[in-house]
Amino acid sequence: MSETEPNLALEVRGLTKLFGGVRAVDDCTFVVQSGQVTGLIGPNGAGKSTAIDLISGFKLPDSGTVIFKGGPIDGLPPHRISRMGLIRTFQSPREWPGLSVLENVIMARWDSGRETFRRGVWGLARSQRATSAGELARAREILTEFGLFPLRNERAGNLSGGQKRLVEFARIRMAEPQLVILDEPMGGVNPVLGERMAVAIEGFIAAGTTVIVVEHNLPFVERVTDHVVVMAQGTVIAAGSFHSLRSNQLVIDAYLGEMVPQ
Amino acid sequence: MSAYLISIITEGAIFGIMALGLNVIWGWSGDFDLAYYSYVAVGAYMTLVLTIGPATAPAQYILGLQLPYPLAVFIAVITSMAVALVIGSIALRHLRGIYFSIVTLGAVYVVYVLAGQYVPLFDGYNGLSGLFDPMGDWFGLDYLSYQYFLMGLSLAMFALVFLLMWRISGSRFGMALRTLREDERAAAAFGRDIYRLKLKGYVLGAALAGFAGALFAAYLSAFNPSAWSPVGEVIALYAAVLVGGRGNIWGVVVGVLVMGVGVQESTRWLPHVPGLGELDNVNPQILLSMRGLIVGLVLVLFLRFRPQGLLPERRYVDSQPAALIVQTPA
Repeated sequence: MSETEPNLALEVRGLTKLFGGVRAVDDCTFVVQSGQVTGLIGPNGAGKSTAIDLISGFKLPDSGTVIFKGGPIDGLPPHRISRMGLIRTFQSPREWPGLSVLENVIMARWDSGRETFRRGVWGLARSQRATSAGELARAREILTEFGLFPLRNERAGNLSGGQKRLVEFARIRMAEPQLVILDEPMGGVNPVLGERMAVAIEGFIAAGTTVIVVEHNLPFVERVTDHVVVMAQGTVIAAGSFHSLRSNQLVIDAYLGEMVPQ
Repeated sequence: MSAYLISIITEGAIFGIMALGLNVIWGWSGDFDLAYYSYVAVGAYMTLVLTIGPATAPAQYILGLQLPYPLAVFIAVITSMAVALVIGSIALRHLRGIYFSIVTLGAVYVVYVLAGQYVPLFDGYNGLSGLFDPMGDWFGLDYLSYQYFLMGLSLAMFALVFLLMWRISGSRFGMALRTLREDERAAAAFGRDIYRLKLKGYVLGAALAGFAGALFAAYLSAFNPSAWSPVGEVIALYAAVLVGGRGNIWGVVVGVLVMGVGVQESTRWLPHVPGLGELDNVNPQILLSMRGLIVGLVLVLFLRFRPQGLLPERRYVDSQPAALIVQTPA
């Protein structure tokens, strides 16, 4: 039971979080297969965002375990989890507004050796500066891929909502995590950009990054996911392919309702 | 060179080191720290108790050593860093924005009251004095040549600190500090240990404050509670950093020139304005207050019309054209 299968990217067991008397996440259990896109859906207040905060270390669970890379990560601070290769985004884009788009992408890669005070003072080679040649080249490549190259010197805070979403995707590309959790990437995004994001998610998978996507936009979920986990009232009520869930009465009652006419 | 000019340049260089330290904490890490001047004060007090020798009754203070000045400066800087580590580790743990500022405001008052009222520490309200021309007799300097020496020393130290900050500004470390200022949740999501990083920046800033305080002690020969106030000096430093350009070290230098030297010194002509001279005869404090008025007015105008300062923080500009980029297959 405690053995993790090698093809699992993430395993969540009995995760529980109480806010006062409210069980925001209640004995939540699911697994995420490596190399797949897993959707996490459910009505507002189902506990999806809290579950993400618990997995990524931004909140501490009251009980339960999260297994990543063969070991428990619950209780670790967010930066430790991030350094292990699990990166999350937020419901609203969290770019570094005062930095340029290019700087946003470059700084997405955490670099233990070069980010110290000592290296800052004594690292005389160009490769020790914030904009080393290798990183610059990679960041330019990624920005071109996301159509952000012409905006690279722009202050990130000046971009539109959709462009900020793309900057977040570009940052994930730069960081190259093993697992990324995208929290409502389609929030406030137009359909054309949505298609670009679907392609970007395919790009993540191709680059070896497993994806969890929390999303309310069901056509998008249908388009990008291999597997869907449905949450309601803090717990997982169903899991399976999007098509198999269409006919699941529990899911229809809790979430899909009249959105999926027979 | 007149004695007046020498004193302005010396003070300006010391003020510049203070402003560069504040720029690390507020300009890069983004924390509005009101305890900052306590690290300057600790640096100055410590330099004095380490150099002026044992206290003679009724004066009393700790240590009372007669160490060589450079060694005393070194220890004073370490002490400032230690005090900052204590205050910072409490204030930076969970508090941000106005809550952080309130806690640091409390901290600076604690330091001020301790230094000014707890007599066995730094002789209370009398303060410390007697640091005359440190390192002067090493080079056999007389009074006047010592003033030149101290000015040169302050300028050289300012240049050194500026060089250090210039290195930090373009480094990964400096950029990481800026990500904390811009959005620290995102910084954590991308692997930054927010608390440690903020504390590092805080202690680095305090080190510069302590260093400036140690130079200030040599300049003033003395230090006591009437030489500083918990908030007044730090607001002047914030004004300099804001007017020059928060986050831009060249801007900080410009800010020190404009606010520290320019506005402060240019108001010396006030008594010569017809009508104002008589006011000065009635109450000399009035014109000093008017100087504060001008500083405040400049600050308000900048906050309203140019909050980014005269020299805004510069972002890295990539000028490589798109055509030169070689696409690698995904």
